[in-house]
Amino acid sequence: MNSNEEQVRAAIAEQAGEWFVANDEGPLDAHDSAALAAWFKTSPVHVEEFLGVSTIARDLKEARTDPEYSLEAILARARAEEEFAIQVLGSRDSFAVRARPSRPWLAGAVAMAASVVLSLGLFSWWNVRHAAQPPGAGSITELRFETGHGEQLSRRLADNSVLHLNTDSAVTIRYGKTERLVTLTVGQAVFEVAHESDRTFRVLAGSAEVVDIGTKFDVRLGQNSTVVTVIEGRVEVGLSPMGEKLGTNSRQPHPPRFVELAAGQQVSVAEGEWPATPIAVDAQNTTAWLRREIVFDHEPLERVAAEYNRYAPKPIEIATPALRNLQITGVFVTDDTEAFVAFLRSLKGVRVEVTPTRISVSRD
Amino acid sequence: MAAAEPKPSLVERLFADHRGALQTFFLRRIRAKADAADLAQEVYVRMLRIGDEEAIRNPVHYLYTVANNLVKEHAVLDRRQASGIDIDEAPAFEQLETLPEFDGDLDATQRLARLGVVLKQLRPKCRAAVELRFTHGLSYREIATHLGVSPQMAKKYVAQALGHCRRRMAALG
Repeated sequence: MNSNEEQVRAAIAEQAGEWFVANDEGPLDAHDSAALAAWFKTSPVHVEEFLGVSTIARDLKEARTDPEYSLEAILARARAEEEFAIQVLGSRDSFAVRARPSRPWLAGAVAMAASVVLSLGLFSWWNVRHAAQPPGAGSITELRFETGHGEQLSRRLADNSVLHLNTDSAVTIRYGKTERLVTLTVGQAVFEVAHESDRTFRVLAGSAEVVDIGTKFDVRLGQNSTVVTVIEGRVEVGLSPMGEKLGTNSRQPHPPRFVELAAGQQVSVAEGEWPATPIAVDAQNTTAWLRREIVFDHEPLERVAAEYNRYAPKPIEIATPALRNLQITGVFVTDDTEAFVAFLRSLKGVRVEVTPTRISVSRD
Repeated sequence: MAAAEPKPSLVERLFADHRGALQTFFLRRIRAKADAADLAQEVYVRMLRIGDEEAIRNPVHYLYTVANNLVKEHAVLDRRQASGIDIDEAPAFEQLETLPEFDGDLDATQRLARLGVVLKQLRPKCRAAVELRFTHGLSYREIATHLGVSPQMAKKYVAQALGHCRRRMAALG
C-alpha cells in the first residue's frame, strides 16, 4: 500500500473508530443510524475498517485479566508518561501544535523544569544544566536530549515547539532572548516550530544551518552530508557558519548562502558542494519514523538493511553480495523484527538465518 | 543431492507450478480462512441489498449479524468439505457478543501480543482511554474523570486509538 492509500485508510479507520464509539455509548438515534447505514454502504473498505476496529475492542476485553492492563498499571502509565510520550503525529496533531497560542517563555521554562522530573521511559535519559552565563545575556538554560539505539522520543518545548528525536540521536537546545538555537550533534530529528516573530529558530547540524520560517522539517545528520526535508511551511538552509570557516579562509563573494526550501522539498548539505539544488521528495516517507515505520519504494536491499539496522536490536547482514541490489518495496514497523524477517523469507531465492547476534541474509 | 533426485513427472511439475493458484481456488470455496477483505466485501454486498428502513434501527447490529452469518456459512461449508457430512442449517445467529473471526490467521494470543506493541505507540492518555474503556468497561465519563479531560475528549481519544491500532495491526499483516 502506498503512503497516499494508507493515509486514506487511516482516515477511514478513524471514522470507523468514531462510529464505534458513538454506538458503544448506547443505541444511535434514527438520524445517526441512517448516517451510519449510509456510511457502511459507501464502500466495503468502510465495512472492513469497522469490523477491524471491533476486533481491537474485543481483543482488549480479552486482556482484562492481564496484570499489564490492571487499572493501577494503566493509570500509572498515563500519569508518568503524560508529557513525554512518543507522539504519533498525524497532520491534525501538528496543526493543533501550531494553533495553540505560545506560552510566555518564563512560565514555559518553569513548566519544563517541573516536567523534567518525571521519568522518560526505560532507557532514555536527559540532563538539564545551566550553562555558564555570558555577561548580560541573562539566564540561558541548555537542554540536552539523547536517545539510544532503537529509541525515539518526542517533547514539547517551552515555546510550544515540538522536538521528535529518532534512534541514536542527540540535540542541545538553547533558548535565548533573540534566538532559539538547536544543535543536532548526531542522528535525526523533526522540528515542529511554533513561529515567533522576534525569535528565530535555528538548527545547526554538521555542515548545515537551517533557519525556520514557522514550519515542520526533518534534519538527518549523515557521515558526509546533512539532509534537510521540509514537511510543512518553508525554511532557509545554508552552510553553517562553522562549515563556512572550515571551507574557505577568504571572504570572497559567496554564492547565495541560503537556499529556500518549500514543503515536499529536500536538500543535501555538504561542504564543498554548496549551494545544492533542492529536489522533490515524498516527505511522508522521510518522516515515516515518526510513526515508527520505514518506507521503501524500490530500494536496494543494502540500503534497506542499513536503514533497518538503525533501529534493530540485532543487525541484518547480507552474506551474498549479489543480493545487495535486490529491490525492496514495503512499509515496515521499526520495532517489529519478526515481521521484517518474515517478509525477507517470503522473497524468492532468499534465505534468512537468525542467530542470537545477527540476521544473515543469503541466496537460497 | 539434486543430481540423485529423479526427474519430476509432468503432473508433479504442473502441480508445483500451479500450486498457489489451486490453493487460492480451494480456499475461496471452502473458506478455511476468512480473509478480512473478502468478508468485508460480502458483508457490504449484503448491506446494499437491504432497504434503509431495516438497517436504520440498528445498523451495527445488522452488520454483525450479516458478518456472523457469513462466517458460519463458511464454517458449515468447511465442515462439509472435511467430513462429507451434510449439515442442514446453520445455527441461529443471535449471539452478537461473539464477533466474527476477522483477523484470519492469527489467534487471540498472537493478536494481543501485537496489540501490546501497537498500544505503546499511542500518546499516553489516548492509550489509557482505550484500555480503560475496553479492559475495564469504564464509561466515557469515568475515563474523563480519571484522565482529567472532558468526556468528549475521552471519546475522541478512544476513537483515535481504535483507528490507529486498527491500521497498525493491518500493517503488521
